[in-house]
Amino acid sequence: MKSDNPFVPHMATLREAVELTPDVMLFRIDLDDPDLKPDFSYQPGQFVFVSAFGTGESPFGLTSVSYRRGPLEVAVRKVGTVTGSLHELEAGASVGVRGPFGNHFPLDDFRGKNIHIIGGGIGFAPLRPVILTILDHRSDYEDLLILNGARTPQDLVFASEFDTWAASPRTRLELTVDAGDKSWTGRVALIPSVVRELNLSPQNSVAVICGPPIMIHFTLIELKKLGFADHQIVTTLEGKMKCGLGKCARCNVGDKYVCKDGPVFTLEQISTLLEQF
Amino acid sequence: MSQTAQIRQAARELLQGKAVECVIGYERGTDGVNARPFFAYEAAEADRLIFDQTCTHDLAKYLLNRKGKSTAIVVKPCDSRAINLLLNESQIQRDKLHIIGVVCPGVVERRWGTPGAKQLNACQVCQQHTPVVYDTLVGQPVSEPAVADPYPDVAGMEAKPADERRTFWEEQFSRCLRCYACRQACPGCYCPECFAERLDPLWVGIRIAPGENEVWNTMRAFHLAGRCIGCYQCEQVCPVNIRLSLLNRKLEKDVLGMFHFQAGMDAESPPPFSTYQKDEKLGIGE
Amino acid sequence: MRQFISKQNLISWLRQQMEARQLVAPTQVDDLILFRRIDRVDDVILQFQNTATSPKEWLFPKTETLFHVERKDGKAELIPAEIDGETVIFGLRPCDARGITMLDLPYLADPADTLYRQHRQKTVLVGLSCLTACPECFCESMGSGPEDTAALDIMFTEVRDGYLVQAITEKGRSLMPQALLSPAETVKPPAPETAPVPSEGITAKMRQAFDGPYWGRVADRCIHCNVCAYVCPTCYCFDVRDYTNKGSVERVRSWESCQSPGFTKIAGGHDPRANKGARMRQRFSHKLLYFPEQFGPLHCVGCGRCVRACPVNIDIREIMQDVQRMGAPK
Repeated sequence: MKSDNPFVPHMATLREAVELTPDVMLFRIDLDDPDLKPDFSYQPGQFVFVSAFGTGESPFGLTSVSYRRGPLEVAVRKVGTVTGSLHELEAGASVGVRGPFGNHFPLDDFRGKNIHIIGGGIGFAPLRPVILTILDHRSDYEDLLILNGARTPQDLVFASEFDTWAASPRTRLELTVDAGDKSWTGRVALIPSVVRELNLSPQNSVAVICGPPIMIHFTLIELKKLGFADHQIVTTLEGKMKCGLGKCARCNVGDKYVCKDGPVFTLEQISTLLEQF
Repeated sequence: MSQTAQIRQAARELLQGKAVECVIGYERGTDGVNARPFFAYEAAEADRLIFDQTCTHDLAKYLLNRKGKSTAIVVKPCDSRAINLLLNESQIQRDKLHIIGVVCPGVVERRWGTPGAKQLNACQVCQQHTPVVYDTLVGQPVSEPAVADPYPDVAGMEAKPADERRTFWEEQFSRCLRCYACRQACPGCYCPECFAERLDPLWVGIRIAPGENEVWNTMRAFHLAGRCIGCYQCEQVCPVNIRLSLLNRKLEKDVLGMFHFQAGMDAESPPPFSTYQKDEKLGIGE
Repeated sequence: MRQFISKQNLISWLRQQMEARQLVAPTQVDDLILFRRIDRVDDVILQFQNTATSPKEWLFPKTETLFHVERKDGKAELIPAEIDGETVIFGLRPCDARGITMLDLPYLADPADTLYRQHRQKTVLVGLSCLTACPECFCESMGSGPEDTAALDIMFTEVRDGYLVQAITEKGRSLMPQALLSPAETVKPPAPETAPVPSEGITAKMRQAFDGPYWGRVADRCIHCNVCAYVCPTCYCFDVRDYTNKGSVERVRSWESCQSPGFTKIAGGHDPRANKGARMRQRFSHKLLYFPEQFGPLHCVGCGRCVRACPVNIDIREIMQDVQRMGAPK
């Protein structure tokens, strides 16, 4: 039955579940309704609610890019009941999808600029479509720095794509972990200190940051020290959300709703919010 | 000197001498009639404190927000039992606490804007008018009256046939809003994650509907069996007047009969359901 | 034109409504007056100050199914909930009806909340104007008043031996048979005055008073129950979860409140609003600052229920006074 009820998800099928890290799965999802697929376009930074029927639904940033016309992709870290249920699903399972919701990263404004992508843990996942968009339209943008950090080497998401990214023109990939292991020969440092060490230049640049609140907090401090202005820093806010429509009022912060007015905000916009999340 | 004056004096001295950071007591609320909780941090604020028969709140609950901070608190006898309960369950530290115990003639049902005329049911059968633990006592201890039947309300309910009781509780629980005011006001309810909000495992669904409401209210009552100190907060704060004290008092009566135990009379005796001895016989499945 | 209906005719009219559709009206339940579905017209209470809880639950139920999941041949199918049947709510106080216009603003904004819209379309709102004011009412300071007809389809005003009738909307007129009415000969009784609160300019003052120790001090005594939000005619936050029962699955929403400890806690445990004072401030900021900035009106109709029901006397009238005093520019 078709419904105009915005709470009723589109039926979809889990095509594939790929283990990205010990606790993160990448889900590839196809919408069941063939009429819907061509219209289902979305931008980097937007999110969908994915339902595990019987448990509930949760919001996830899309990690795929719309223009490649592939399945919808979300990276799901097992942290609660819904994510726990999703992790138990096998290919072919029915899931629900609502969305896309929210605003998106202002990629048009990024054209002609150096871009620093800084992601921590599962927070790196919604930055992947930004990276893919830049790499697929490489001449539109200047230098690209990708800084991906995680607790351990095993927790770095999208590791299978690192070589491709690093081999792209004018692209630099930096990886860091909080704690290495025997095989790890790379950096062992927290993201904010790597930002300081790399001495990122604010010249004709934007920094795009996503990660746990504490990492964002200290990274912003370093970027400010390096001379980045508030409008050069783009980040995401996280809020508990239940509807994605600005109705349930759960993600209300100041006079904004993270689900509708966000999740992407420049630091300039965030600093005008009364409440600081 | 009136009880109010004695409380003000004690609070002023404690705050002036920096013996405590805060005195939790009562002040007059905005209806000009009833008391409300008040936190005094400065000696100058001590004169806002009051005590009278509208001081129904059990302030002991607030000690859970002030763990590790030196605090003085005004308690009635039942509230003093809540302090013992929290001490017994290692929730608060005695050495951080200055207890201003008030000899209590009983408090009245809270009615907005008008002085309550009726004493709380629990006060009508009260056998403890002097706090069981205190550092400063306000008022003179009185000799306790012999109360022939301390549970007339429970006995009345027990005398009814099962289907009548069932109908009664179904009606009562059907109006529950699951606002959790009962839990939030209860000094014995302090789980960091309440079973009612726990998702994994899920004990009770989020529906605000008769079945879930019944599970919520009865499970909460059982969690307080042998722990409820009879402060009546749950019933006082319920916005739809559910007779929660009947449930709690029934369990209190049973625990008294079976285990000769009353919660919070001292800080050492463990509540019956927090201990287990191998030779215990519960009369279940034996 | 104002018309008159005798008390006897009003009761016949209520009986007709009860037989034709669901009738919801104030009724006595133990020592409370609550809006309930009426099965006997004698149960309707005509004289009361106001109900203990607001009528919003008849448009925004405490718990409501959004859709059912049905399994057919191994495939899941989603069956959206539909509101069937019409309802007449009788005995709405003007402040509560004004409260419904507040629910309309977020819920009917595009994309509309389908179930709320259906409830709204299938419900006739019948008001009963106030002849006395409760001491804790402050509707006139909040853009409403004892004779406010916002959202109402019909308004009754009690006079000697009956009621003045004002059919406000087409929906209201179509439900009010002329045969039961006569021309009004009685003059309308004067509306009572409610105690004023300083609402003028409160939004700007809230912004100025946002930081500072005040909210923490008020929150000291807050026990963070959900009473204020659940008795409120305008609070509209909700939670959504799946509900399973013997193999059937449905998605439900239930009321939720910004004062509840888990309101903003996200999976993984982070809570951006864990602080008691910040939570307290959220309630009043949403009512007096964010909502007016988003939608226009203050998000409070002055019904006074939260004032009366708050277990620890957190009184929005006092808070508005304090904020007005505090709100000198920083």
